[in-house]
Amino acid sequence: RGALGGSGHERERRAAGPGAAALPAQGLPGQPQAQPRLQKAERRRGRGRYGGRKCGRGHKGERQRGNRPRLGFEGGQTPFYLAIPKYGFNEGHSLRRQYQPLSLQRLQYLIDLGRVDPTQPIDLTQLTNARGVTVQPLKRDYGIQLVEEGADIFAAKVNIEVQRASELAIAAIEKNGGVVTTSFYDPRSLEILCKPVVFFLRGKPIPKRMLPPEDLVRYYTDPRNRGYLADPSKVAEARLELAKKYGYVLPDITKDELFKMLSARKDPRQIFFGLAPGWIVNLADKKILKPTDESLLKYYSS
Amino acid sequence: MAAHTLRGLCRPWPGLALLCARFSQRAAAGTEYRSSHSLDKLYPPRQDGTAARTAELQPPTLDIPMARLTVSYSRSSGPGGQNVNKVNSKAEVRFHLASADWIPEAVRQKMALMHRNKINRAGELIVTSEESRYQMRNLAICLEKIRTMVTEAIEKPKVVSKETAQKLIERVEKMNRERLRQKKMHSTIKQSRKADFD
Repeated sequence: RGALGGSGHERERRAAGPGAAALPAQGLPGQPQAQPRLQKAERRRGRGRYGGRKCGRGHKGERQRGNRPRLGFEGGQTPFYLAIPKYGFNEGHSLRRQYQPLSLQRLQYLIDLGRVDPTQPIDLTQLTNARGVTVQPLKRDYGIQLVEEGADIFAAKVNIEVQRASELAIAAIEKNGGVVTTSFYDPRSLEILCKPVVFFLRGKPIPKRMLPPEDLVRYYTDPRNRGYLADPSKVAEARLELAKKYGYVLPDITKDELFKMLSARKDPRQIFFGLAPGWIVNLADKKILKPTDESLLKYYSS
Repeated sequence: MAAHTLRGLCRPWPGLALLCARFSQRAAAGTEYRSSHSLDKLYPPRQDGTAARTAELQPPTLDIPMARLTVSYSRSSGPGGQNVNKVNSKAEVRFHLASADWIPEAVRQKMALMHRNKINRAGELIVTSEESRYQMRNLAICLEKIRTMVTEAIEKPKVVSKETAQKLIERVEKMNRERLRQKKMHSTIKQSRKADFD
């Protein structure tokens, strides 16, 4: 491109095309204005310009001649990255579960901007559709965790389902009359949850969500974490306890007009609200296909 | 049906029964998907009231009536730049100690004695906390401090009964006697090794 072009104005004239002189310079009236072609940046040339002469390479030596040693080399001294002994800080990092943080401040921001609807149960699907969080199941992400940043300014009544939640975050949500639930999604279910349309286009039946592994069962059956496998009565007691601890009056959600929405919960084997495992969603024909075979029904409800 | 049995269990919070019953009601309606691991199968509603008694076995934590306390928030001290200058995270709780009938009378007097440095001229006990970045947590810390104060004031000094005191003295004497006996035995051994050339 540089070889073809001469000076600036010659290039512009060439780009105009044949018969261009007949057309007005600003374009035809009533038509959308064409953007003027920007001049390409001048290549680095010597001769007294910025970035010229030695071209930022310095004077003689390895620097100018492009023969500097590798990164980390310290002239023969044992380099830092070899002198320090190995220790397993990152050992097994690819097997560790990661949870993308979601602060209450961000959640409030999304609700205020109308990207997330607080009158419906808030799920990871809702948050992903609203582009509030980005979860990468392939990078060992197992979901999102509620973080307490913004706990003091949070003022929204929501029914939210996350994968982990800290105590203060739970307190902040329940103080405003909301409901928090922590639930487990195995990587396959998580991928389906985050990208439902892509999954439906595959034409495969919705799988059942797997139960948590051994080390997470204790977490999800603990009412203090509002686990989805915990005893509901104990969860209610834990709500009262937390209200006593943090010194707020627990609002009675049964008196609320949105009580039905706030108490909406997924079954432990369910991935989507309103869709059961085993169903196939046909987006093109807007139909749902359900299995009728005994053995399949038995499998999907186990 | 399930809802009735739950309501009969007389839980502290009346709405609790409704919340628990939601799941069983849904199952009965047949509109919701129910797997073998759904909550009403994992925790079937019990017919007897034994399930509700677990909370009462633990010692009840002090119930602090929030309406009787005066809570105020202000800006914390310390480093932190713009955030510490603007955010009201220091929590201060004050209440009139003499008229706090949610604390027993004797305990109140003990507290007035123990924490006289924290009581102002108007008789209000003041507890502050600015340890955390969050107002809510600072408030929780203040309440925890009040609970600790009450617990400390309630505890009675350990009274050692006469029998126990005597037993302890006897033990010490026995130890000393044994020690001296061993010492004499060792001494005779050492003496026997001495060669007296007189």
